[in-house]
Amino acid sequence: MHQQPAGTTRGGDIDMQNVVKDFGHFRAVDNVSLKIASNEFFTLLGPSGCGKTTLLRMLAGFEMPTGGKILLDKADISLLPPNRRPINTVFQNYALFPHMTVAENIGFGLKMLGRPKAEIEKVTQDMLRLVQLEARGKHLVTQLSGGQQQRVALARALAPQPKVLLLDEPLSALDLKLRKSMQIELKRLQMETGITFVFVTHDQEEALTMSDRIAVMSEGKVRQVGAPDAIYDRPADRFVADFIGETNFLAADVVSVNGNVARVRLASGKEIAARFAEGTQPSGKVTVVIRPEHARAAAVSAEADLKGTIQTIVYLGTDTHIHAVLEDGTHFTVRQQNSRSGPCGFSTGEQIGIHMSDDVAQILRD
Amino acid sequence: MAKPFSVRRVPGFSTIAMICFIGLYLPIVTLVIYAFNAGTSIAIWEGFSLRWFQSAWNNAQVIDASIRSLQIAVTASVVATVVATMAAIATTRTVQYRGLTFKYAFINLPLLVPEIVTAVALLIFFSRVKVWTGYSGLGYLIAAHAAFCVPFAYLPIRARLESMDLTLERAAADLYATPFQAFRYVTLPLLWPGVLAGFMLGFVISLDDVVITEFVKSGGQDTLPTYMLGQLRRVVTPEMNAISTVFLLLSFAIVTIFFFLSRTEKTS
Repeated sequence: MHQQPAGTTRGGDIDMQNVVKDFGHFRAVDNVSLKIASNEFFTLLGPSGCGKTTLLRMLAGFEMPTGGKILLDKADISLLPPNRRPINTVFQNYALFPHMTVAENIGFGLKMLGRPKAEIEKVTQDMLRLVQLEARGKHLVTQLSGGQQQRVALARALAPQPKVLLLDEPLSALDLKLRKSMQIELKRLQMETGITFVFVTHDQEEALTMSDRIAVMSEGKVRQVGAPDAIYDRPADRFVADFIGETNFLAADVVSVNGNVARVRLASGKEIAARFAEGTQPSGKVTVVIRPEHARAAAVSAEADLKGTIQTIVYLGTDTHIHAVLEDGTHFTVRQQNSRSGPCGFSTGEQIGIHMSDDVAQILRD
Repeated sequence: MAKPFSVRRVPGFSTIAMICFIGLYLPIVTLVIYAFNAGTSIAIWEGFSLRWFQSAWNNAQVIDASIRSLQIAVTASVVATVVATMAAIATTRTVQYRGLTFKYAFINLPLLVPEIVTAVALLIFFSRVKVWTGYSGLGYLIAAHAAFCVPFAYLPIRARLESMDLTLERAAADLYATPFQAFRYVTLPLLWPGVLAGFMLGFVISLDDVVITEFVKSGGQDTLPTYMLGQLRRVVTPEMNAISTVFLLLSFAIVTIFFFLSRTEKTS
C-alpha cells in the first residue's frame, strides 16, 4: 500500500484460477478462471443468484474460496482477511458509518492504516473535491441524499488508494437520471485514478455502457468473457444471447464452412452467412441469432431472406419494433429506426419480407 | 360512514381502565403523601412537614445502607454489562451452529429460576466459601448481584447487535480495520445505546433486590431494601415513606434518562 508517483499505473491485475465456492451442498461459484488486467473496467454480469456477488466477496476477502486461487499482482491473496488486501469495496447499500461525518467516513481507511493526521486531512479534502461534496465534509452521512451517499461511499473506498476497487451494484438504488450521470462519473474516475475496477451488475445496459470487458455469468459459471460489442454481437450461447439485449433465434442447417464463416440454410430455404465462436466446428442443425436492429422489413419479394406476417407494431419513439410470425411459426422482431416522422409504413396483418445484411448472424454453441 | 372500530367505545372499557390505574397508583400516591406527614402515623394526616426526610438524612443506618446499595449496584451492573456484552457478541457474531439456541436459553435461564432457589443455593455455597477463605466482605453480594443482572443486561445488548447492519463491520474490515479496530470504532459506538440500556436495567434490578441480598449478606451488610424490610418489622414511621419516595424518584430519573437515550438514538 505504498503510494506511487502520479502518472504511473497503480491498478493491480487479478488472476482467478479455478475458483470454487460451496455453501453446504450449493455450489455458488463453479470453477471460475478469469484474468483482469491492471486499470481495466471489468464487469461481472448476470441474473441474481448467478454467483457474481459471491465472486466479488471472495475478491474482497469476506468469503474464502472452497477451491482454487486468487492472485493479485502474482501474489496469492485467496486466504488473506479483508483488512490485509489493498482492495476496497463500494457496497450496494453503501454501508456508510452512521455515527461519523462525511469526512470521518472518507478518512476511515487511512486512519486504520495509521497514516499521519495531516495526510488524512489532505486526502479527505481531495476526495471530497473529486466527488463534488466539498461543502459536506462536516455533515453526518444520514443527512445526505441517496446520490450523495453514493458518492461518499465511492470517495471512502478510493481514499486509501487501493489497487482494485470493487463495486457491488452500487447504482441500483438510484433513479435513472442519477444512474446515467454516475455511470459517466465512474468511468472518469477509473481513467483518472488508474485503479482496476471490478463492477457487479445485473443490468446489461449498465455493463455495456461502462465496461472494457464483461464476464457474463449464470449458475456459478462464466458463460462468456469479452468486450461489450463482442458479447452483444457474438454471443457464445443461448443464455448470453437471451440475457443481453433482444434477440431472434432461428433454426438453421449448416451447408458449408469456409474459414470462420459458415453458410446456413434457414427454414425459408434461403442461405445466409453466419459467424461462429472460435474453436467450434458447426455442423448439422444449429441455432443462429440475429439482433432485431440487424434486420430490415420490406415489401414481399423473391430476394427477402424470410417471409412473415406482422403481428404487432410497437412505437418506441426513436425506434419501431415490428413483431412478425414467420412461415414456420417462429417469432421474429425487426427494429427499425424512425429516421423520419410519421407511421412506419406497415400495418398489422400485412405480409412482409425480411432482409439481413451479411455477417450479422451468429451460430450459438450448443 | 361507519367509524373505524375503537376499543375505547366498548361499554365499560374506560371504567375498567380507570379502576386498574387507581389500583396500581393509589397506594404509591398515598405512600408519597404520607412521607410529608407532620405526625408519627402513616395513616392519620397531621399537616405538612419535611421532618421525615430530615430524619432519614440524619439516620446513619439509612445513609450507610444507601451507600452500600449504590456500591453494589454500580459494581455489579458494570461487571454484568461487560459480561453480557461479551456474551451478546459471542452469540450474534457467529455462524449458526447446533446448540446456539440452547446457549441463548442458558444465558437467559436465571430469569426463570425462582429467586428464592438461587438465594438458598448461594447461601449454602457462600457459607462454605466463607469458611474456606475467611473473607466476608461485600464481594459475595457483588458477585451474586452481577450474576442475576447478566440476563437483564444481555437482552437489550443482543437486540441491538441483531438489528445492526453487518455490512458496516464488513466495511470497516474492508477499510483495513483489524477485528479489534472494527469493534472499537464501528461496533461499540453503534452498540453503545444497547450497552447503556443493559447497564441501567442491571442497575435498577440490583438496587431493588431483597430476596438474594437477604440470604447472602453477612452481619452489618444491609442494603437499603433489606434495611427497610428490617425496620418494617418494628415501629413504622413516615420515615419509611420518605425513603421510599426518594427511591421512587431515583428510579424515575433512571428510567427517564434511559427513555431519552433510546429516543435520541432513534432520531439520529
